[in-house]
Amino acid sequence: MAAVERRRSQFLRGVLDLCLLAVMEEGPAYGYEMTKRLRARGLSTVGEGSIYPLLGRLEREGLVETHRAASDGGPPRKYYRPSRKGRLALAAGVSEWRAARDAVDAVLDPVEAEVAS
Amino acid sequence: MNEFVEECRREWERLGVPDPVANEMAVELEADLEEAEAEGVSSEEVLGSGAFDPRAFATACAAERGVIQSNAPDGHGLPRRSRLVAAICVFALVAVSGGALVVGAPSAEPTRLAITAPGPPMVVGPTGRVALWPAPSPVEMVRIAEAARDAAAYGVALPLPAGDTRIVAVPHDSGEDVRVLGWVLLAVGIAGATALTTLRLVAEG
Repeated sequence: MAAVERRRSQFLRGVLDLCLLAVMEEGPAYGYEMTKRLRARGLSTVGEGSIYPLLGRLEREGLVETHRAASDGGPPRKYYRPSRKGRLALAAGVSEWRAARDAVDAVLDPVEAEVAS
Repeated sequence: MNEFVEECRREWERLGVPDPVANEMAVELEADLEEAEAEGVSSEEVLGSGAFDPRAFATACAAERGVIQSNAPDGHGLPRRSRLVAAICVFALVAVSGGALVVGAPSAEPTRLAITAPGPPMVVGPTGRVALWPAPSPVEMVRIAEAARDAAAYGVALPLPAGDTRIVAVPHDSGEDVRVLGWVLLAVGIAGATALTTLRLVAEG
């Protein structure tokens, strides 16, 4: 089980920035809110990493815009949303991901068929 | 404040992260962890394995944010420590230099020269700082000249009957100054090295 989680963590590590940009594209979100959105889609663990260093990098690279606003009954939160540069990076990243995924599928699909048959 | 966040704050402070940035990151993190805890979500689910190593987590956040040098960390702030060690070495070098000056400075006691006067008056030394008469023997003259040059001697004038011998004190004009400078450098070096070593021990303790 640990090996499976480690592999999932490694898969996620390369695209977590895209996933973050994607979930904040749905609407501005603070850190934990993004974690919940990811979890709702089955990405329940961030494994060895964390979204917070990544959010810092996205902010440093100008891929996100931030603002502080009150949350529901809680303290003011730091909300993130993709900047224009971030949306462009997201679009480019999604294309790269799909190309990589298709290439991997082309290799793995026959294996899956053999196992199934 | 959450213990994990406290640890992060200490690490950010140690790494020299500007206060406004550190405050912002701490507030964000604390609010998220509180909300997660209220929902029964563990900090590990929010922070990943970083939940077990707040220093590494804090370092990663600050490095990705670009508020410290990315090679500083490994969680222990190496560049800052290296600078500290380099500064300690510089102070130690200053102390050693000072000690060398104190030990190596010419004696405060004047050089005593034996002068035998077999002939007419003569002046010894290119600057005329040692004048002797009557002149000693040629061999004695060479010894006196060398001793006077080494000792930066000055101002000796003795009328001597032929064949008489006198002991002449040739004072130094720079030994005391060099020694004082040596003591100052020694004190500054020892004080600086001690203070920085203490600072380093406290920071790492």
